[in-house]
Amino acid sequence: MLELALFYIFGTIAVVSAILVITQHNVVHSAIFLAGTLLSVAGIFLALNAEFLAGVQVIVYVGGILVLFVFVIMLIAVERSTFERQFNRQWKIALITSAILIGELVYVVYQGRDTFVLAEPAVPLVQGAAGNSQQVGMGLYTTYLLPFEIASILLLVAIVGAVVLAKKKTQTE
Amino acid sequence: MVRLLWLIPILPLLGAVINGVFGKRLPKQAVAGIAAGSVAGSFLISLAAFVQMLQLPEAELPVVQNYFTWIQAGRFQAEFGFLLDHLSGLMILIVTGVGLLIHIYSAGYMTHEPGFYRYFAYLNLFMFSMLTLVLANNYLLMFVGWEGVGLCSYLLIGFWFFKKSAADAGKKAFIVNRIGDFGFIIATILIFWTFDSVNFQAVFSRIEDATLFPVETLGTVGVVTTICLLLFIGAAGKSAQIPLYVWLPDAMEGPTPVSALIHAATMVTAGVYMVARSAALFDHAPGALLVVAVIGTFTALFAASIGLVQTDIKRVLAYSTVSQLGYMFMACGVGAYAAGVFHLMTHAFFKALLFLGAGSVIHGMGGLQDIRKMGGLRHHMPWTFRTFLIGALAISGIPGLAGFFSKDAILWAAWNSENYGKLLWTAGIITAGFTSFYTFRLVILTFFGKPQYTEHDVHHVHESPASMLVPLAILAIFSIIAGYVGIPAALGGHNNIEVFLGGEEAAESSAELILMLVSVAVAFGGMGTAYLFYVARPDLPARLASSAHAMYAILVNKYYVDEVYNVAVVKPILRWSREFLWKFVDEGIIDGTVNATGQVVRAAGSGFRHMQTGYVRTYAGWILFGGVLFVVWFLR
Amino acid sequence: MNIPVVNLGAILPAIMLSLFGIAIMVAEPFVSDAKKSWLGWLAIAGTIAAMLALAPMSRQAGQWYTNLWIVDSYSIFFHFLFILIAAITILTSMNFLQREGIHHTEYYALLLFATVGMMMMAGSNELIMVFLGLEILSIATYVLAGFRRTDLKSNESAMKYFLLGSFSSAFFLYGVALIFGATGSTNLIVIADSLRSGDPQTSLVSLAAALMLIGLCFKVAVAPFHVWAPDVYEGAPTPVTGFMSVGPKAAGFAVLLRIFMTAFPTLEDRWTSVFWIVAALTMLIGNVIALVQPNIKRMLAYSSIAHAGYIAVAVAAGSEHGVSAVLFYTLAYSVTNLGAFAVVTMLSRSEDKLVNLNDYAGLASKRPGLAAVLSLFMLSLAGVPGTAGFAGKFFIFKAAVQSGLIWLAVIGVITTVVSFYYYLYVIVQMYMRDPNEEFADVRTTGPLKLALAITIAGTLYLGILPTRFLDWTVSAAVNALR
Repeated sequence: MLELALFYIFGTIAVVSAILVITQHNVVHSAIFLAGTLLSVAGIFLALNAEFLAGVQVIVYVGGILVLFVFVIMLIAVERSTFERQFNRQWKIALITSAILIGELVYVVYQGRDTFVLAEPAVPLVQGAAGNSQQVGMGLYTTYLLPFEIASILLLVAIVGAVVLAKKKTQTE
Repeated sequence: MVRLLWLIPILPLLGAVINGVFGKRLPKQAVAGIAAGSVAGSFLISLAAFVQMLQLPEAELPVVQNYFTWIQAGRFQAEFGFLLDHLSGLMILIVTGVGLLIHIYSAGYMTHEPGFYRYFAYLNLFMFSMLTLVLANNYLLMFVGWEGVGLCSYLLIGFWFFKKSAADAGKKAFIVNRIGDFGFIIATILIFWTFDSVNFQAVFSRIEDATLFPVETLGTVGVVTTICLLLFIGAAGKSAQIPLYVWLPDAMEGPTPVSALIHAATMVTAGVYMVARSAALFDHAPGALLVVAVIGTFTALFAASIGLVQTDIKRVLAYSTVSQLGYMFMACGVGAYAAGVFHLMTHAFFKALLFLGAGSVIHGMGGLQDIRKMGGLRHHMPWTFRTFLIGALAISGIPGLAGFFSKDAILWAAWNSENYGKLLWTAGIITAGFTSFYTFRLVILTFFGKPQYTEHDVHHVHESPASMLVPLAILAIFSIIAGYVGIPAALGGHNNIEVFLGGEEAAESSAELILMLVSVAVAFGGMGTAYLFYVARPDLPARLASSAHAMYAILVNKYYVDEVYNVAVVKPILRWSREFLWKFVDEGIIDGTVNATGQVVRAAGSGFRHMQTGYVRTYAGWILFGGVLFVVWFLR
Repeated sequence: MNIPVVNLGAILPAIMLSLFGIAIMVAEPFVSDAKKSWLGWLAIAGTIAAMLALAPMSRQAGQWYTNLWIVDSYSIFFHFLFILIAAITILTSMNFLQREGIHHTEYYALLLFATVGMMMMAGSNELIMVFLGLEILSIATYVLAGFRRTDLKSNESAMKYFLLGSFSSAFFLYGVALIFGATGSTNLIVIADSLRSGDPQTSLVSLAAALMLIGLCFKVAVAPFHVWAPDVYEGAPTPVTGFMSVGPKAAGFAVLLRIFMTAFPTLEDRWTSVFWIVAALTMLIGNVIALVQPNIKRMLAYSSIAHAGYIAVAVAAGSEHGVSAVLFYTLAYSVTNLGAFAVVTMLSRSEDKLVNLNDYAGLASKRPGLAAVLSLFMLSLAGVPGTAGFAGKFFIFKAAVQSGLIWLAVIGVITTVVSFYYYLYVIVQMYMRDPNEEFADVRTTGPLKLALAITIAGTLYLGILPTRFLDWTVSAAVNALR
């Protein structure tokens, strides 16, 4: 029961913040509401006993990405962005299409409201000292060894790509 | 060695790939070495395979090597396989042997060309295609080689593509050959339709079934006759017979060694080879055979008469080639395929020799080709002169040289033919006189008399380097001795070559001896007339030309065939393509459709073009839109 | 404790490419500026090593790494194709990079990593792996598209590709999440079993499948998810455009077929019918708009959309014939299109000068060899008998007819006829117009020639002797359907 209550609280915060992120004129405000969304998602993870994920969510998204956003916002002129038009002429069509998509999702949930058979989570939750960080670690080094290694290539590509695009222009260019 | 059959075409292909890809970086010696080396390898394997084939018992012939199933579509099956018998064995020896000599010669002749490696890559590619054509064991594979040699011929004629005449000649050869190829491919389809196979052995064994395929009487056009006529259209295109011969004289725009290899010794004889290969079919279609004989004979006479008055050294030889090919078809047409192939072989030697000699002359004269501006070259180019003279004697049919034996075999076969044999023989003998005349006219104007050029025009006339003279010498030797494999019965021989190729040993006949004397007399007569015209009474040709002005003009203008084609075929097609295809179809229908499409798109306002606004938001919108539709479809 | 068997042989080609990619970056400081092209040859050595590594890999048939990785003739075929694409692209790029003053090192490294990503997509039996591969490929290609950093169009290309690519990846990932929710697994075979048992909620699974399909359709650029392609292809450096038009497309179709054939056979009527519409729409849009393009890169971009449509026809056919036709066609199209792009690269100049169709006027009289080669590729793209393109189209339409998709085959043939117009227009320009360019500075260097030799040989070989590769694709298709 507590879980359900927590889910609705965090879920509401997440959705409302997300809408505010795109409707706010001031980018700094948007960034703050983004933090709200991300943190409430971390809250949902915690409510599901996925404390490792919750930690990662906070560290990576709030601690890393969001801080980066704020840095960038400080480097560009914040005032100018408040005069920019926030939505283009396409927004009505986009809204309608998105609404249909959401409608479709709702339809799926509605249709299956009684018969939803959600599978049991693949990794059983273990409460206690070891916690689920250990479970995640075990999973990464045994069952998901290959994807784990492959992810290193992904990170390498991302680093190399970022360096290529960001480094100073050389004389030949 | 028979197992290595596949290497014979593959080696030149490798050479072509290496030279084509890396040739620009390699030194010229290496390029020439790779090209000639690969052909030499093919030649040695061919020789070994030939010798081994001779030792095999009769029952094991022909040797067939199937490598893999090439095309399999329903009932239709074509193997990628080679067939070695006496006919193809002889052909690969000719092709690789003459090809090797011409590769060596080219190394000297083309030294100063910027596209040296390109030239050798094409030449090697030609060897590959020609050997595939000759060794193929079915009509479809033969057609692949057939197209390949056509392509290489086109590339090599247009080798100096920056010269407009060369590029045009290439195009002409390409287009005229397409007409012939069309006949060939229809024939192949018809063969499959009739015999349920395109494999030579299967087709030829099935046609022997007299209940299914009786010999069609003369004048009937049954399926076999149709097939043979279509095949002959293909052969006429490739081997430059009336009415498709027009491309060959123009093809002389290519480098001279190419003219020697492709347009004299090998590729143009592919038509003769194909007819000889299909002998079993033609034997069942006397009507088609008669067409072959008549067209061949007429071409021989017609081309020789044009050759009488040409002044470009290579064009004389080109018309001579057309004429000699006519001879070969005459032989095939009277059923003497072996005699035709025999002449094909001797012709390969002496005509390659003549062309290479002409190349040597052109080389020495710094590119000059007009024989009226030459003269007295025998002092400057003694070896070229000697070898060229041997070639001239051989083609004229002077006893003792190769041409005499093969030409005699053809004329004797024609005489004995039941269908208009005497008439064919008469045309043949006149052609022989013409041949002898124009050949010696060429020899006299080029090598004898006083030089007609000035030092201002031509600097430093010189003999060619050894790499060009050695092939000349070797070809000269073969131009003499090649005939001795076919000494006729009338001269106490056994006509070995014709028996080897599956012909029958003719009985000794005094009639043959008499005919032989006539043809020798005619040959000497032609020679004498040339002497009279150009040495003893040099004023005669001009007087003759003015008194028989009309005839002379017709000959000089090659019977106006090019002009007639131009008016009757080329112009209407051009007009049709301009008025109909371009203005109506292209501008009217296609552009109209395109414009209409554009208008519809613009008018609709939300069609295709509206998708490409260039804004990321629009694109994202489309993706979202498509996504929504996808989900709807999946949830239905 | 469940420690998986570490079978290096099963992923040896990917390891080879990764190692060489890293080696190129490590080697860079030790190579003097004049000899930077050596790095290209190092990359070529990597592709050769990967090609050789296919042999040990093919001996490891089966499922590895706790069933995440599958080695069968299907994945080996695609490994082969991807390595081939990478090798030809590298050969095409070597001279181009020199001319444009682009950094060699990262370019080659990213190209090799992108190939690793494609391999991960084709060989994985698991949706997380697929996603990782997809992202490796995508990020590498985003950067490659923007490699000419001083060029605005190149920047635009990279930016658009990045934004839209991320957008569509999100769809895919959401689909993965939903299917995990519905079946409790991301393993394709487990998903299929669970679907057959009939437990999971159908509409949820359908939604998941649709979302995944959206993400993949973006990658292969079929209508209506193709809109990004022309802009991105036009702005990217020419060899990269060549790579993007075949590599990600082949990988996308590989993984699309793998996922839907293995995991969603129960939904087959849905996704094949979707592909019917997608294929028809894509062929129409691609070919019709290609008709009016004045720029050859843009024309080839639309043509590549159209070709994705032909492949989609085979996907719609769905059977074993359809799958083998997809495989054959991707190979045939890759070889031909890479060849065409090699020629376009050779003829283009800095800042994308000389990429308009009328710049090719009279090429035949100046550079007849190049004109002939480009004509061959155009004929193959159009699908003239004797070329790879014809064989490919033939098998596709045959598969379509066998599966009863007569009308789709008819649309395909009609649009093919339309496509003849713009392909032959290039040939008409080259052969029948007077030249207004000298093409004097066009240099055919060794690597480019090698690339052309491979592509020409491939185009002709597949066109004339398709049997051997067809047998391979059929056995791969049987594997994929099992």
